[in-house]
Amino acid sequence: MGARHIVCFGNDLHGDDGFGSRVYALLCQLTWPKDVELFNAGIAGLNALRFLEGCSQAILVDALANFGNAGEIFLLRPEDLADRPEQPASHGLGIPYLLEAIKVIREPQPDILIVGVEITGVKPFSPGLSDKTERAVPKTVQLIRCLLPE
Amino acid sequence: MTRRIIQIDLNRVEGDLDFQLELQDNKVVDARCIGSLYRGFEQILMTRKPKDSLVITPRICGICGTAQLNAAVLALEHIGHISVPPAAIRIRNLCLMAETVQSDLRQSFMFFTADFCHAKYIHQPLYEKALAAFLPFKGRVHRGALEQSRHIVEIIALFGGQWPHSSYMLPGGVTTPASNRNIIDSLSILNKLTRWFEQAIIGTELDSLLALQSAEEFFTWLTAKEAHADSAIGLFTLMGRDIGLHNMGFGTPHMISYGAYDDPDDAGTFAPHRKHLFRSGFLNGDTGGIEPFDQAEITEHVRYSWFQPYQGGRHPFKGQTIPDYQPHSDRYTWCKAPRYQNKVVQTGPLADALIDGEPLIHSLYLAEGGNAWLRQFARLHRTARLLHKMRKTLQELAAHPNATHMIPPGKKEIPDGEGFGLVTAARGALGHWVQITDGVISRYQVVTPTAWNASPKDSEGRHGHWESSLLGLAVEDPDDPVEIGHIIRSHDPCLVCTVHLLDTGKRITVWP
Repeated sequence: MGARHIVCFGNDLHGDDGFGSRVYALLCQLTWPKDVELFNAGIAGLNALRFLEGCSQAILVDALANFGNAGEIFLLRPEDLADRPEQPASHGLGIPYLLEAIKVIREPQPDILIVGVEITGVKPFSPGLSDKTERAVPKTVQLIRCLLPE
Repeated sequence: MTRRIIQIDLNRVEGDLDFQLELQDNKVVDARCIGSLYRGFEQILMTRKPKDSLVITPRICGICGTAQLNAAVLALEHIGHISVPPAAIRIRNLCLMAETVQSDLRQSFMFFTADFCHAKYIHQPLYEKALAAFLPFKGRVHRGALEQSRHIVEIIALFGGQWPHSSYMLPGGVTTPASNRNIIDSLSILNKLTRWFEQAIIGTELDSLLALQSAEEFFTWLTAKEAHADSAIGLFTLMGRDIGLHNMGFGTPHMISYGAYDDPDDAGTFAPHRKHLFRSGFLNGDTGGIEPFDQAEITEHVRYSWFQPYQGGRHPFKGQTIPDYQPHSDRYTWCKAPRYQNKVVQTGPLADALIDGEPLIHSLYLAEGGNAWLRQFARLHRTARLLHKMRKTLQELAAHPNATHMIPPGKKEIPDGEGFGLVTAARGALGHWVQITDGVISRYQVVTPTAWNASPKDSEGRHGHWESSLLGLAVEDPDDPVEIGHIIRSHDPCLVCTVHLLDTGKRITVWP
């Protein structure tokens, strides 16, 4: 079995857009099985493809918009984003673009899950999460933990 | 007569850029290029130790970090009169070329040619072929560019430890020698990309394309074989000209190039006295002549920028970057307006090729001027030249593996003084101007290629290059201005990681 990757996306500087980075920081404090690797992709855009190499399973963590109520956590499959080519909260060439790109360059493709939270909003140059998004962080970490057992 | 204003977002994470265009009877009558994000790198560098610039400036950009690093180290070497060994120059050149090749391939086939698949062109004779080649994620060239372009910067990682944002160039050289292993690995990466480029992009060998010396030879070559016409460069040319790209997007006729890639045979001296492999110069659009380039002729204006005002233009050594946001004035951007000899100029691969005297680009320019098609063609032609030059550079390194890669400077610290580093980044002329006082940076001015091209109006009210390239353009459908997209993309706007914040629908998002 190949490695399992957790890849977090986000921009700390833009309010709730920093959700993925915040989750990454908490994930780093936990002990993980040897085959699990954590990556903070930040705003790497297309360069984040690197983080999806050499793994059989990948969990992508990002902020979401227009999926539900603020603070709500969602577990999605790539096909759930298929009709959302331009996700408002995406970073750089966002996750939908990466999912298309991975189809081109990776064979076989890793099993991908997307864990996200519906955010209150992206606030340019306002570091820090809103209360609802902040409350979703530990629950998200718990969910990811359950998805990647020993 | 109807008048309307349209707003075009070119948003991204690392430096937002918008266009505001005023249309009269569907013709562009005014254009404002708006840099909507203040970066502040020049302030960040103030009062820091000189060598901090080698870590901080590569973070200016996620695509041209190698170019920023190179400019930063050349400025420090200028101040300290520090020379570097030939192998270090070759390694720096190799890495800078790799970065440019990646940028050019992505810009061309992931962004520029995707527009050829626009529904507007459904009745064009080559539309089906364009879809098969350029449609995002489905077309063979788009897929190939996505796969192939990502490996070339691994060469930088071999020598620099990482890409992007690497800091492996230091005053006196680079951090790693060219070992046999690094040379062989680099050659392997280069060979793979070159094979794909020859097969998919140009439909012939590099040398055959580079042997074409005139417009006539090129157009004869284009239709001589099916493989040429059906190659990416062939399809781009034939369809690009069908839709009139060779008749639009001229902009200013004046061009500058800082010259590209220091000459390793001239390693004994230090920048800026070192010769270049590709020549520097100023193409005077009034006379058509190429004049020697002198950085002392550069000034930056802030009359229409959100900076504390000063009169006229200032040379970067006297430059001032004090943010002063004035949203309700006639100022409209965070970009300054650089001018050369008080003229509006453009920079980029077209300017570089013309000033270097590349015969094919020069011949095409004489025939039709500096249009959107030629600007993009020059970028692709440059890839062929650079793949060729990278191979030569690796062969030169292989002749003396593990040659000296660093001459430690006599003094540990960079002395007080002033210096500049000028390089050719993927998007054109990039310069860093540095002054050091009492051991720390007292002034740091960066003039990027996009600052030249995306310049706002200056103290005399003259539009910048991108703005002027759109003036007078007829737009068929203002709600879907695909023509504007072609022109903007031909300039290769520095949109590092594009974000498309589609808000009210009144704004129109254009990818880089």
